[in-house]
Amino acid sequence: MSPPNTHTTKTKTESERKRSPDSRDRASDERAMVADGTLPPLIAAQLNHLLSHSSHSLKVDQIWSGCKNAQFSDRFTLLVPFCLDYVKWDVVYNAQCPWVAPDVIFAAEDEGFYPFFVAGEGQANGQREKSSLEDWNCKDPARLMLLVHELRDLYKSYQMKRVGELDDERLKFEISTVLSREGIEVCMISGSERLEDVKFSVPLLDMNLNKLVHGCPWRHQQMIYLQVVFPISRKYTSSSPPRIKLVSSSELKALLSVEDVKLPIWLDGMCMAEYLPAVEDILKAQIVEAIAAIGARRRFIEALASQFGRPLEADSVFCRKATVLAASGVFTFLVHISLSTQFPKQQPVLVLQSSQHFNSQGTPVMSPPLMDYPWSPRWETSQMVERIYEFLAEECLSFKKYCNDSQFQQ
Amino acid sequence: MDDLPLQKIAISGPTLASLIQRFSSSSGDVDGLLFGHVSQPTPSNLLEDDLPEPSSTRSDSPTLVANVTGFVCSGTVSSFYDSAGRLNEPALRRFVTDRALPGQSLLGWFVGRRRTALRPSLREFNVSSSLSNETLTLTANSQIEDSVKIPPCVFILLSTPLIAQSIHTHDHRAFQFRRSSGAFEPKSMDVVNIGPGFRVHYGAFSPNSPLPWLPCVVRDSSSMEIEEDKRRDGLAARRAALKEQKGLDLYAEGFDVGRLGRLMGSEAANYTSELEGLYEKMLVKLEGLARNVEKSSAKVLEQEQRNMKLRSKFAGFG
Repeated sequence: MSPPNTHTTKTKTESERKRSPDSRDRASDERAMVADGTLPPLIAAQLNHLLSHSSHSLKVDQIWSGCKNAQFSDRFTLLVPFCLDYVKWDVVYNAQCPWVAPDVIFAAEDEGFYPFFVAGEGQANGQREKSSLEDWNCKDPARLMLLVHELRDLYKSYQMKRVGELDDERLKFEISTVLSREGIEVCMISGSERLEDVKFSVPLLDMNLNKLVHGCPWRHQQMIYLQVVFPISRKYTSSSPPRIKLVSSSELKALLSVEDVKLPIWLDGMCMAEYLPAVEDILKAQIVEAIAAIGARRRFIEALASQFGRPLEADSVFCRKATVLAASGVFTFLVHISLSTQFPKQQPVLVLQSSQHFNSQGTPVMSPPLMDYPWSPRWETSQMVERIYEFLAEECLSFKKYCNDSQFQQ
Repeated sequence: MDDLPLQKIAISGPTLASLIQRFSSSSGDVDGLLFGHVSQPTPSNLLEDDLPEPSSTRSDSPTLVANVTGFVCSGTVSSFYDSAGRLNEPALRRFVTDRALPGQSLLGWFVGRRRTALRPSLREFNVSSSLSNETLTLTANSQIEDSVKIPPCVFILLSTPLIAQSIHTHDHRAFQFRRSSGAFEPKSMDVVNIGPGFRVHYGAFSPNSPLPWLPCVVRDSSSMEIEEDKRRDGLAARRAALKEQKGLDLYAEGFDVGRLGRLMGSEAANYTSELEGLYEKMLVKLEGLARNVEKSSAKVLEQEQRNMKLRSKFAGFG
């Protein structure tokens, strides 16, 4: 085995070719749907603006047409993040009259949600709040975003009102004590046995997580929330403890897996105002550790160069992945190294990929994930790399046999 | 106009069929107004009289039925309201007066939107709320003294299934917007058709025809002229009447009223050939009329396509 020289360029392009469609697909999934070509330009401009400029990570579920000849698409389902879940709203435009403001059909369970309307003593034309639907300007691409944001705010107050009307002393107390926290959201969810639960989504840690990571690629503000689900108890006598869970925005998983954080126990008779500071203290310590772990992983990836040569690819922000090229005689292969957030307590997972053997679908032959090799978190970084190198010098022989076998089977 | 609860909404088969036809033949979404009357069918079950307090039971169970007998379809959306759901009163008034027929008042409105969920949308809620709050006298006429008056609170939603199906092609659902609760109440929709099941309904049915009543007086043009002279009506009126008569004579193809008179009674047998001649001419005329309709339909279609192109151009497809 020797550090590779000649094959570098070739392998790099191959690996790029393999990876790029995959990652690009995921990144531009929403765009691909919009760029369907069938949405009238006026509508497409508004939807594109909404998806690329909104502070909420909205998604488009489906786009379809309501025209007789289905020539142009004019309606779509919008997934609006709310209270750690998504609500589905159908946005209905009219391809025949794209200058007319869209209409919205809310989810079936939100039957009572009718924004821009206050039922009451006002008779002539009701009493209506001024909405972004008024004086609609179809040429302004930001209009849809304004509307969706306004509706989301109204939906938030609608859910808050529903929960506030419940006859549950504990909930009333919880709401009165934690409602002052910024960004808190509550909603009713249907739980088991036709009973309804109340879900709280409480944003934790008053710090900008995006600023903690150097060269942070996150477009949306990353957050950690505590999800607390209270079963509604009609009488205060027997109140069962709430179900508690930590939830983070999806991209934060590259830095810290909140599922692994051990939560303190909810004592009988406790309330959220008491519980939250304890959780936040634990999380703060975890985040400091997670940031420190990036440094440890970076040192490991840098140390790879001494044995394997410079990595072909490496995740330079979170240092969770690196790929190096290795060769044993003429047998050349890639080693994909994945580092967990628990590194160095958890050893890296190795996957070998042949540069010379392809299966019947034309994809390179890969080894199963290797995670059972000599390892100690107490070793020096250079020793870790050396031991992996030694392990691979042995392992590559059986991998080569595995590659040859899988080719002969075809 | 009280905000009384409806028991159900009844619509005649042909009206519903024509409503669905208008919706399915349009290229996009449509809306329009619903006309008809509200009736309070006599309860067939007279046991109620024996109850100590009949008035209380009556108030609990609604007995009013909204009968949809006609509609006007705008062929587009936002025809009488804006995007926020506020009414455009001049447009609404125009629609209503266009349909001023005896025995019909504005009952509510409808929307047809393809491949959407069968529940009212944000705008539909706001339009219904505006419409049922409408204090203006929008009723077509006030001749119907005896019928119950309710605000225009009926809403019929038409849609098609989300996934195209060959057998199940249309959905519809009817609602009543209640001002008091500020909410839609789904109502059952009776499609009135011919059959034993609907005999009861026809028992209470008062027919009304949109055709005007034509006074039929047998007289020929010469005698009419004299009569008209004698009456010394306005010159303009006389001219108009003459013009109409000339038009009628043209259609009669020389068969004036006097000559036609001979086609009846005992003399009729002698005029068989004349009768046949008239019949043939009528057929020719009908054929001509059919051809005219065909030509004008083609022109309408052409214009519609031109409109579509202009719309597409405006929307930026051009």
